Amino acid sequence: MVRSINEAVLRLSPIAIVLVVWQAAASFHWVDTAFLPAPAAVARALGDLLSGHEIRDNLFVTLFRALAGLFLATLSGVWFGIGMARSWVFNAIVSPVVGATYSLPKTAIVPLLILWVGIGNAMGILAVYLTCLLPIIVQTYHGVCATPAVAVWSAQSLGADRRKILWQIFLPYALPDIFTGVRIALGFSFVVAISAEMIASTTGIGRLIFMYGENGSYDYMFAAVASVVIAAFLADRALLYVSARCLRWHESHAASEIGAFG
Amino acid sequence: MSGDTAEPKAGLRSYALSTLSIAVILIAWESVARAKLVPELFLPSVSAVLLALRDGIADRSLPIDLGVSLYRAFAGLLIASVVGVAAGIAMARSALIRWFLDPFVSLAFPAPKIAFLPIFVLWFGIDHLSKVLLVAFSSVFPILIATYSAAISVNHLLIWSSLSLGSSQPMIMWRVILPACYPRIFSAFRVAVPVALITAFTAEMVAGGGGMGAALMYSQRFFESPTVFAYIVTMLAVGLVLDKAMLAIRDQFPSWCESN
Repeated sequence: MVRSINEAVLRLSPIAIVLVVWQAAASFHWVDTAFLPAPAAVARALGDLLSGHEIRDNLFVTLFRALAGLFLATLSGVWFGIGMARSWVFNAIVSPVVGATYSLPKTAIVPLLILWVGIGNAMGILAVYLTCLLPIIVQTYHGVCATPAVAVWSAQSLGADRRKILWQIFLPYALPDIFTGVRIALGFSFVVAISAEMIASTTGIGRLIFMYGENGSYDYMFAAVASVVIAAFLADRALLYVSARCLRWHESHAASEIGAFG
Repeated sequence: MSGDTAEPKAGLRSYALSTLSIAVILIAWESVARAKLVPELFLPSVSAVLLALRDGIADRSLPIDLGVSLYRAFAGLLIASVVGVAAGIAMARSALIRWFLDPFVSLAFPAPKIAFLPIFVLWFGIDHLSKVLLVAFSSVFPILIATYSAAISVNHLLIWSSLSLGSSQPMIMWRVILPACYPRIFSAFRVAVPVALITAFTAEMVAGGGGMGAALMYSQRFFESPTVFAYIVTMLAVGLVLDKAMLAIRDQFPSWCESN
């Protein structure tokens, strides 16, 4: 326990050093605090915002949009991926659409979604959903495709039906890839939710950051950005934890995922 | 691609079906728009989009916007590659640098960089510089992490052999470690290019200042739906062409690069 605390202190000390230098730079007026507010001012703003409703409500709105879109995309993306891997007809029909839209910057469709569904939760969730769908489809497809045929034949020869093969062979084999896809999609979900809010929204942390910037309350703007960074970091960590738990049986996966930057 | 995995076989029939699938989508789109089942504002016909695309190319607005966006994306990528490769190798070679940078990389890697846009605008203005630097900030982390993990896993035998043959440290860096990292750096590049594009387009959509994103928002504000679609189609084509180009470059790699 003591050792792990020591390690944590050692790991986090660079952040402390930078904060101290930053605070000194602001206190001694080496930098213009109008452009770079002191960490103490940002911390005060963050405390103020967290105790009030501003950041908390707006951050929760953004998190809700990002995670709801991600959840729906995972639910449907996995089935699309399995369908594409298992049926050449479905694959031939869907893959040109997936291939063409994969490299489209998804924020570009936000103006269209505004026209189609207006601004608000539905637009945010839809934009996140469409963005997250593609990496999950592609990763699931690769995972299912890479399933060794020997495993499928063995299951068949032991009398497993199609449903059983799907649940007990293909899905477990694809699970590490599905988690990779979900992790990629998690990163996208925050970017798209926040971008959509910056482009057009009345709620959400993206709009809040932008509003503070336009009003010139930069300590609050920095505090809101810090809250987003921390939320995204925690969400990523939570997903890594869940995937490490779910893939405990899978050789070398947990070790390779939580490597140097874990 | 061999027979020992459960991959579906690609054949002539599936290519035909793929072509048919695209054709059906385009025809359905055109006929829905022509039949005025939805207002033209929401879904302009394919032909209207193609006309808008032609007009945009003819009056040079679209190529100029595209040039501005690509300049921002690639200038940012260039900065990200130099910084990312240098920092990645430095972290792999020096425990002190690794200790210092690790918490920042861990914290910043999953962060949605677009949230920093107002800060970058505050520091670097609303023109090129803030967008170029935001692109660099967004795309530096995949490159840094790939370089780092490639550099720490360089086969020690290679380093020892070149040491015993009398190589200097800079020579080992340029002739052994960097070449050993190329395949991984290139794979990271395939991740970083779409990130750079999406960041450039999105920053322009949010902060304006010219480029594809700003033009897209501008036409949406004036309800010129065909132009909006024309810009989206162009973005889609650019993403597709760049990805195909990266694949083509990868195929040119020497055979010792076991990238997949």
